[in-house]
Amino acid sequence: MTNRDLPRLPRMAKVRQVALHPAGRRLSRTTPVRGLAFFLWEKRWFFIAMLVGGLIMQLPTPDGLSREGLIVLAMSVASVILFVTEPVPLPTVALMIIAGQVLLLGLDSSAVAKSLMSDSVLFIMGSLMLAVAIVKQNLDKRIAYLIVRMTGTKTSRICVGISLVSGILASIVGEHTVAAMMLPVAITLITLTSDDPKKVRRLAAVLLFSISYGCSIASIGTPSGGARNAIMIGYWKEFFFDPSDPETRKFIVDYVTWVLYCYPIFLIQLPFVTAILFMTFRPEYANMARAVVRLRQQIDKQGPMKSTDWVTIVVFALTLYGWIAYSDTLGLGIVAILGACAFLIIGMVRWEDINSGVNWGVVLLYAAAISLGVEMKETGAAIWVASSFLELIAPLGIDSGVPLWTAVSALTTGVTNTMSNGAAVAVLGPINLKLAVVAGESPILMGFVTAISSAFAYLTVIGTPACTIVYSSGYLSTTDFLVVGYRMVIMSTFVLILAAYLYWPLLGL
Amino acid sequence: MTERALKSRSDDDTELVEDRHFSILVCIDGSDESYRALRYAVRIGSGTDADLTLLYVRPIDQGLRTGGLQFSVARENLLDWGLELPGMKALKKGRDMLVELGFLAEDWEEEFKHTDVSGDPLGDNMIVYKSDRGRAITLKLMVSPSVAHGILDECDYGGYDITIVAKSTEGPSTGLGFIEPDVAETVAIEHKGTVLVARALEESHGHLVCVADAEESIRAARRDAQIASRCACPVFLFSVASTQAALPEAERAIANAKAAIEEEGIRISGEKAVIGDPVSSIVEEGRGYSVIVLSAARQKSGWRRFFTTSVAYKVLEHAHNSVMIAR
Repeated sequence: MTNRDLPRLPRMAKVRQVALHPAGRRLSRTTPVRGLAFFLWEKRWFFIAMLVGGLIMQLPTPDGLSREGLIVLAMSVASVILFVTEPVPLPTVALMIIAGQVLLLGLDSSAVAKSLMSDSVLFIMGSLMLAVAIVKQNLDKRIAYLIVRMTGTKTSRICVGISLVSGILASIVGEHTVAAMMLPVAITLITLTSDDPKKVRRLAAVLLFSISYGCSIASIGTPSGGARNAIMIGYWKEFFFDPSDPETRKFIVDYVTWVLYCYPIFLIQLPFVTAILFMTFRPEYANMARAVVRLRQQIDKQGPMKSTDWVTIVVFALTLYGWIAYSDTLGLGIVAILGACAFLIIGMVRWEDINSGVNWGVVLLYAAAISLGVEMKETGAAIWVASSFLELIAPLGIDSGVPLWTAVSALTTGVTNTMSNGAAVAVLGPINLKLAVVAGESPILMGFVTAISSAFAYLTVIGTPACTIVYSSGYLSTTDFLVVGYRMVIMSTFVLILAAYLYWPLLGL
Repeated sequence: MTERALKSRSDDDTELVEDRHFSILVCIDGSDESYRALRYAVRIGSGTDADLTLLYVRPIDQGLRTGGLQFSVARENLLDWGLELPGMKALKKGRDMLVELGFLAEDWEEEFKHTDVSGDPLGDNMIVYKSDRGRAITLKLMVSPSVAHGILDECDYGGYDITIVAKSTEGPSTGLGFIEPDVAETVAIEHKGTVLVARALEESHGHLVCVADAEESIRAARRDAQIASRCACPVFLFSVASTQAALPEAERAIANAKAAIEEEGIRISGEKAVIGDPVSSIVEEGRGYSVIVLSAARQKSGWRRFFTTSVAYKVLEHAHNSVMIAR
């Protein structure tokens, strides 16, 4: 048997290959409903979401809010419930948002269709295609080689190396790509240390969280680090840029500007990640010499860098150059798509691989969520929610400055831990940007606070793609995320607010 | 005891012959609790020609959780490194445990089966070990939209006499039960057959069979007594009357159950009828036993979950140890 088969069991007599009897599996594959009661129970959050949405629409229109605004709010609340509870496949929510805009808001279907595609959506699509292309090049062993050469055999150094390399890569190519590449490196080190998961329980936690948290803190470093960054850049342009007013040019945030604001925040957090992980888990092994030696032996079998490896690096370096040099004129999305095209043209990746590796439903979902966010602005729903929220928090003295930034960061952190961080920014972005306007704060600052805080999804498995991927290794429990996550949230929030207060003003904000 | 045989009709079609062994499904999730459950299953199956299936279900990522990159990419990467996915490891550990317990021998015939599943590089896989006497031990690694769905599908397909699902007691309760119902509870509620929700399962403390003065309850008691007799576990009968006036009814339930069980040639180790709140009385009394056994009417269960909560499901929720819902 190969390693794709079931456990490597002792050889026994007569192995025969036949197809698995499919009869029992037809049940759920073709008949999603097991019974009415089960169906209603399973889909209860769908019905609750619809009920809540319907009830909001029946409410009298509040002062300062249009009827359309109330409908968009109802759709947003229902969507958030569906995002968090997932009673239906998430792309279904996207389709419902699209249909809702036509049926409930009375918008022209062609106009809704046009609103689905923007540079942010092209960027999300292109970066997902790039992710598959890069993962397919098997650069993970090269990266592993780099880490073990750089760090030596001490566990703490290896963790710093993993966080640093994961972080640097995730700040450019997206955390899901890096987590998918780094996971085998960490698991190999763990299994080479001990076959018994109980003996390496805390070591596994430290190594795996070094990947996921390294990716998370870095994913805000550049616009290409995550979909949420591109979404925020799109919102700034959509909400505040007026071609006839040169003053509003500052709302077109290019690649380099974003890096200047955000990359230092990643670098400052980096040493704290390893410190927090070691304080929390205290790994069983202080030195991993045996595992590292065996890992090196495995990696050495790869031989020297091949021409395809160099081509991959060159194509990606050109894409990165395109983002840095042309993102303000071409847009992030076009550059990402050109990068994906280059991989396909050269033949480094097959379309079939991209087609099967990209979750296209996610592209649709982000498109619909951004479209709904724009509607929140158009109908005045965003500014109404922002004003109401500000009225609510004003008596507490947190309606401006550092207290308001902290409140927005806390709100975003709370939401992003229950749903995808991209969806969190898509939903909260319009509200927080309008909140900045009402409170007399800078929308750029508030946008950065929102986008960066959306990376603080350390508390749950579903918080970030990297967390989900390392959790899939089977070495971590959900409580591990809570135990270490709250420390990470405190540290990251502190660093963010400090940067917003001390560093960003130096850049003219 | 009857005999189970899988006869191949063609490459992609097999027929399940009606004659079959007593069959047990153990859902493995890699937790210590699931291996304790496996040990218990071996005890139930020992001394008989019981068939045993170990099932590990891996959910397919269908949403945003991996940021748009399919889980399969990460899984492919792991496989390329020659690493075993968690499900493989967990099943392998279960298989090793069976060999160690003498429930599986090296000379059994082995049969490997595979089905491709869209969206997952590994697909569905199973290995069937067969003894000369026709007993089968199956290791199944399945992918499914959700773990509970996968287990329920397998329950429906396999027609198992008992399904054992571990409910981990590790870690604090998140209080999110309504948002994300527990896999074990979902299986216990939705499955048409008998389900043992294993929680801190210790083997030697006997079964506390809770009975009411109803035909289905007596049938469930007899059924559990048969299962308990397989592992030489002592059987205790317990009934709760909510008022003094209802006490005779509770005592009658115990008498009827005792008669039904003794008809099977099984001895009752003890009996008790008390007055009090059924749920708390059962939960408290059950602390000292390996398994609390209750009956549930399948056709009402889903609705009950919606509008009310029956004693069985409340006990399932609040018990400190294992609960068997016998159907």
